[in-house]
Amino acid sequence: MGTTIKEQLSSPRGILNFLIKYNTIFIFVLLVIFSAIISDVFFTSVNLSNLLKQVSGIGIISIGMLLVILTGGIDLSVGSMVALLAVTFAILVNVVILPVAILLTVMVGFALGSVAGYLVAYQKMAPFIATLALMTVARGLGFIYAKGSPITFKTPGGEFMSNFANNSTLGIPNIAIVFFLIVGIASVMLRYNVFGRLIIAMGSNEEASRLSGIKVNKYKFLVYAISGSLAAIAAVIVASRTNLGSPNMGMAWELDAIAAVVIGGASLNGGRGTAINTLMGVLILGLIGNILNLLNVPSYPQQVVKGAIIIFAVLLQKFEKK
Amino acid sequence: MFNSVDMQNSESEYRIEMTGISKSFGVVSVLENVTFKVKHGEIHALLGENGAGKSTLVKILSGVHQKDSGKVLLNGSEINPKNTHDGQVLGISVVYQELSLVNDLSVAENIYLHKLGASKFWMNWKQLNKDAQELIDSLGFEIDATATVRDLSIVQKQVVEIAKAISEDTKVLILDEPTTVFDPTDTQKLFDNLFKLKEKGISIIYISHHLEEIFKIADSITVLRDGVDTGSMVVANTNTDGVIRLMIGRELTDLYPIRDSKIGSEPVFEVKNLTAKNNLVHDVSFSVKPGEVLGIAGLGGSGRTETAKLIFGAYKKESGTLILDGKEIKTKSPVDAVAHEIGFVSEDRKEEGVFLPLSIRKNISVTNFSSISSKLGFISVDKEYDNVLGLINKLNIKTPSSEVDVKNLSGGNQQKVALAKWLSIDSKVILIDEPTRGVDVGAKVEIYNLINEVAKKGVGVIVISSDMPEIMGISDRILVMHKGTIYGELPREKFSEENILRYSIGKPIKQN
Repeated sequence: MGTTIKEQLSSPRGILNFLIKYNTIFIFVLLVIFSAIISDVFFTSVNLSNLLKQVSGIGIISIGMLLVILTGGIDLSVGSMVALLAVTFAILVNVVILPVAILLTVMVGFALGSVAGYLVAYQKMAPFIATLALMTVARGLGFIYAKGSPITFKTPGGEFMSNFANNSTLGIPNIAIVFFLIVGIASVMLRYNVFGRLIIAMGSNEEASRLSGIKVNKYKFLVYAISGSLAAIAAVIVASRTNLGSPNMGMAWELDAIAAVVIGGASLNGGRGTAINTLMGVLILGLIGNILNLLNVPSYPQQVVKGAIIIFAVLLQKFEKK
Repeated sequence: MFNSVDMQNSESEYRIEMTGISKSFGVVSVLENVTFKVKHGEIHALLGENGAGKSTLVKILSGVHQKDSGKVLLNGSEINPKNTHDGQVLGISVVYQELSLVNDLSVAENIYLHKLGASKFWMNWKQLNKDAQELIDSLGFEIDATATVRDLSIVQKQVVEIAKAISEDTKVLILDEPTTVFDPTDTQKLFDNLFKLKEKGISIIYISHHLEEIFKIADSITVLRDGVDTGSMVVANTNTDGVIRLMIGRELTDLYPIRDSKIGSEPVFEVKNLTAKNNLVHDVSFSVKPGEVLGIAGLGGSGRTETAKLIFGAYKKESGTLILDGKEIKTKSPVDAVAHEIGFVSEDRKEEGVFLPLSIRKNISVTNFSSISSKLGFISVDKEYDNVLGLINKLNIKTPSSEVDVKNLSGGNQQKVALAKWLSIDSKVILIDEPTRGVDVGAKVEIYNLINEVAKKGVGVIVISSDMPEIMGISDRILVMHKGTIYGELPREKFSEENILRYSIGKPIKQN
């Protein structure tokens, strides 16, 4: 309460509290140090830019997931939406000019998210159920439109996107820049904008929000629509990286996104979480995968380690609450 | 240890002896050095205003709360129930004011819930249903033991609650406002049952605001006031006036501000024939003038809170007209009400009033974005802090900074935050439901002054309260609700607890 960082660090107990309070950043730094020690190639620009490219797609949907979770909801449909929207984008980019293709894909994402938002906000359906249903619908539609196989980019527009997605600016991968921009916008919105303030208020006490004259349903609807739109941006990026849209993309990404948000200290009951901490969560998950790859750990043990880290991170947050 | 309870200690005149009981929640002291003794086979009424500590005292007896100091004897031996299970084992059963039934189980399962937990793997359901049915029949009510509790009426639920309490080997039965939902016939049935239980030697502790009931059934009375017992007496030796004097006790003038705001001549707000969709409120009509504090009294369940929520658009209206500043308005949702500058402070602070995990700043700003943010919704940090810090000072909210989470504040300061939310915007009408529930005396006075100040600005203030001295202390006029509608209106010169109570139970007041 009201103490500066300097004061907090002036006693051993203070340092411990500081670490507990900023545990996400603490774990992140620890993992970076650990990775640098055990692997020579970790701190190479190739590896780091690969890492960033790998996490950008999941990172973008994690921000949408954060907004939904802040209201106390959940969006299980985003992984499947990435698949459907990647296919949509691949089809569109082959028939219309690039800006229109991107715009239409985002609009489709907004529309799909709106369906979830409508069901949750206005039909009072449980978010878990509404988005679970949409998850299977979106995956199925993806396979139907793609006729079961990936659709490759065939136009100059597609080629441009492919170049964009695989290149860097000032050493930072372009798609990571898109991701960071989205984190930045979300962070500003949550901190300084009424929209952000209201969804946090809704998540921490929906009835009090309603009785304060807040249009609860409208904002609930909007977070799902935004989550769908962000899934569309993620889909464009992921498809562009591989030059194709496949209905197999984004498999189980919703779970990684939820994990990232939770590692970032957000509460699944809503009302608590920040964009920067979600960014940390995304990077931590990415780092774990990256370092285990560098150590040649096969993928199944990787899953075990990943799960263990999630448990560890959440346990650490319990200390913070006390 | 528990066995000793069963052996009647012949030397002890009393079934229950509580002496020197003190209890505080945080900084709020609820009970101070209270003595409370109940004889074998008597009905002992526990009386006092809301917040006097009645519920806390019986909750200590039944094991819900633990005393800070003092001694509790049952049949002369000291007991220390750590939870309700301990209490039950000792033979202390409670029928709480808030129903505690499991909605999705059957009547029989609810009555014998304690047995279900302790039973072997298999349960003899036939026997269970039969026992439950016999028990309910013996009470003289008609309820099917196999019915699901969810499908019962509120009266039937209350009967199941009572059946549950006496299904065990009960020695002490505690009833907390058991007749709020009962009509006179049901109440009489309950009384007959209580007399039967009393004859069996069971000691009954009866909490009620209905003095009429008390004088019908109780043998002795103990009155609590502000957490201190003001003595016990035998019913035969006292009368209503004596009891009310003990209940009120203190000088009211110290607590309440002088009402000196200029009351306008034309009403700022009128309600005509307001009726709820669920009919819990019907045909409510009244008006409030600018600068006036209008009190709404009535028993729990009389429709006071529902009326406020109907006006605010939080509940669905069947019919009725709202007129603000002479123009008809519609409040289909709280959004509409807020747009018309109507504010509402809920009685349920934690669930509906404040945002516990959020800072004071974020709590206060939630109604006020139009004046602190740009068109695009970006919040001006300076304006926000100016507004919030100004209100923290004005309301004397005790906190080191505006960034403290509201969950870390005391009840009184939380309530001030809930009020601040509406004071930061212009209001024409403010509805305040239970302005000081769970608030210590110091903060109460500050809240009363605040209500007074708001009224002075020309706002129409509507205050709902179960606290009789409070509502008489701060209101210019009191409406009393009974069974979902306004039963009577009291001008200031007719204010008295007796008059309010009489209207509350649907009786006319005595003239002069």
